[in-house]
Amino acid sequence: MSAAEPRVRVEGITHRFSAVTALDGVSLDIASGELLTLLGPSGCGKTTLLRIIAGFERPSEGRILIDGEDITSLPANKRPTNLVFQRPTLFPHLDVFGNVAFGLSVARVGKAEQRRLVAEALALVRLEDYEKRRSHELSGGQMQRVSLARALVNRPAVLLLDEPLSALDLKIRLEMEVELRRVHRETGSTFVYVTHDQREAMSLSDRLVVMNEGHVEQVDVPTEVYRCPSSVFAAQFVGDANVLPAEVVEAGRDDALLAIGGHQMRVAHSQQGTGPAWLVLRPEAVRVARQGANGVADALTGVVRDVAFRGTGFSYRIELPALGMHVKAETRAAATPHAVDDPVVVEWDRDACWLLARDASEIEAPPPPVEAELNLETARDSGG
Amino acid sequence: MTGAFTLLGVVFLWAPLLLVVLFSLHSTGSLTFPFQGFSLRWYDEIFSSPEVRLAAENSLVVASFTALLTLVIGTLAAYGLSRTRSRLRGPLALLFFLPITLPGLFIGIALLVAFSRLQVTLSLVTVTIAHLVYVFPFFFLIARAALERLDPALEETATDLGANRWTVFRRVTIPQVWPVLVGAACLAFALSFDEFVITFFVIGPDSTLPMFIWSSLRRTIDPSINAISSLLLLFTMLLFVITFVLTAWSERRRRGRGLAEDPLALAPPPAAEGAV
Repeated sequence: MSAAEPRVRVEGITHRFSAVTALDGVSLDIASGELLTLLGPSGCGKTTLLRIIAGFERPSEGRILIDGEDITSLPANKRPTNLVFQRPTLFPHLDVFGNVAFGLSVARVGKAEQRRLVAEALALVRLEDYEKRRSHELSGGQMQRVSLARALVNRPAVLLLDEPLSALDLKIRLEMEVELRRVHRETGSTFVYVTHDQREAMSLSDRLVVMNEGHVEQVDVPTEVYRCPSSVFAAQFVGDANVLPAEVVEAGRDDALLAIGGHQMRVAHSQQGTGPAWLVLRPEAVRVARQGANGVADALTGVVRDVAFRGTGFSYRIELPALGMHVKAETRAAATPHAVDDPVVVEWDRDACWLLARDASEIEAPPPPVEAELNLETARDSGG
Repeated sequence: MTGAFTLLGVVFLWAPLLLVVLFSLHSTGSLTFPFQGFSLRWYDEIFSSPEVRLAAENSLVVASFTALLTLVIGTLAAYGLSRTRSRLRGPLALLFFLPITLPGLFIGIALLVAFSRLQVTLSLVTVTIAHLVYVFPFFFLIARAALERLDPALEETATDLGANRWTVFRRVTIPQVWPVLVGAACLAFALSFDEFVITFFVIGPDSTLPMFIWSSLRRTIDPSINAISSLLLLFTMLLFVITFVLTAWSERRRRGRGLAEDPLALAPPPAAEGAV
């Protein structure tokens, strides 16, 4: 086994449920010790992929390898994987100790060793004194921590987590994210984490796999996915984005001349040839100023259509009549925010722009997936 | 007005039962009023009668075997059907519980014909087989409902933790449903214990308690019948109470501790999170 060998290799996995193709030729390498997130809207196939790795679904095509060994035909109970489910699935007839020790006792680990390992696992999730509790005496967050200990105590080659925080309240959820990062650091285990919450995915992952309609859109570290999305879908699903139709007039070595709604501007991105393109612009890169304040060059004039206070700042929706478009802008808190109907100018730095290829026929960006906007509220009813 | 009708209904339902119990304690052989005082002489009589004793033993043996066999076969059938993804799942389930609608008379005749065709000698064994046919649908319905209410994610979790199917069944499924299954077995016992119509067709030279009562009634109305009937009533009611208590307890346990279907129920109480 070479050092570079991936812990988990997903090789050309295709999965069909009767007429529906849930996964379409997905390949992935998951390195030992990394926390990899499968991120996507419900129905994108992320949970199916996780269940295929766990052994609960047999893929229609493709192979799963763990440490170089083909486990595609191995049943779930013989795989070196453990799964933490979306809802806590503690056995109601057993106490916390019985739950955590379940895997060990099935594997016929000695009683004394069981006690030692369970104590260790419970200490890891900070529930040392809870061994005698029953599941109905635990809070939702505690139940998920027991589930985590119950899975980790078996030292799985890879720990699979299927939206484990989505049934929890927001506050507990944020605490649990911190706990998960700590547990991951302390154990050095390989985690594969499924979520539809882009905020959770960005804050947890070493690497992010953006999935859509059964295929992988992009695999990269969160900062790169955010900065350089590989598709309009990735741009809109990971973070908020303005996606504006533009034309590349002139493609230089490290910048490009862009025509956008009759205006021309230079942007510091040059991977694109000339022709139609999408201009991806993060709202926090858009600056908003009062019209005529201090003559900014290349600024576009517009009118504020909506303002919302976000605590750390304001978020605006600004109409640019010259371009026939709207842009979203996020600004830091200002003493006097702009009001609806205020005339303003907007501008952005040339290196804050990102260009993506566009078919000439596409004029409007597709609407962003709903979960990107409603990630916390919809979490409860989403099956992934 | 409604109250009067309700009262009438209650009297209509319970008066015959109470009369039987009352006259089982009568000090004379008379089965009519005036009531002439209490005594346990009829109970003494039946407990000292070897015929009654034998019939009661036979009934107990038949009911015990019926309940045990139903418990095992019915649990396996209900578990298998509740966990299969086969398209035959619906039709098979229907086939298993539809006999509940068959008249006892029909089951009795059908089995008698079958036994004589197969040249099986009628005995307590044939009675037990007949009772099994009769009580199985009742047990199956209850067991299946309990098994299908279980959260399948719990069994998946156990599988994920390394348990094979048998271990999952033994260590996760059964511990959650055994009270309902035992309760349903008590019901099966009760149904078998006082079954008469089907028994009448398939019994050989032996006797069961209901058969004994019937044959005594044909000769003369002996007050000791009242005593046997009262005991039978008490015993059957006790079994129904056990069934009910076990089912209710299991349901409460499931609700209270269960990781309910409703994820909202998981929202922690605000104070609980930090509390030790």
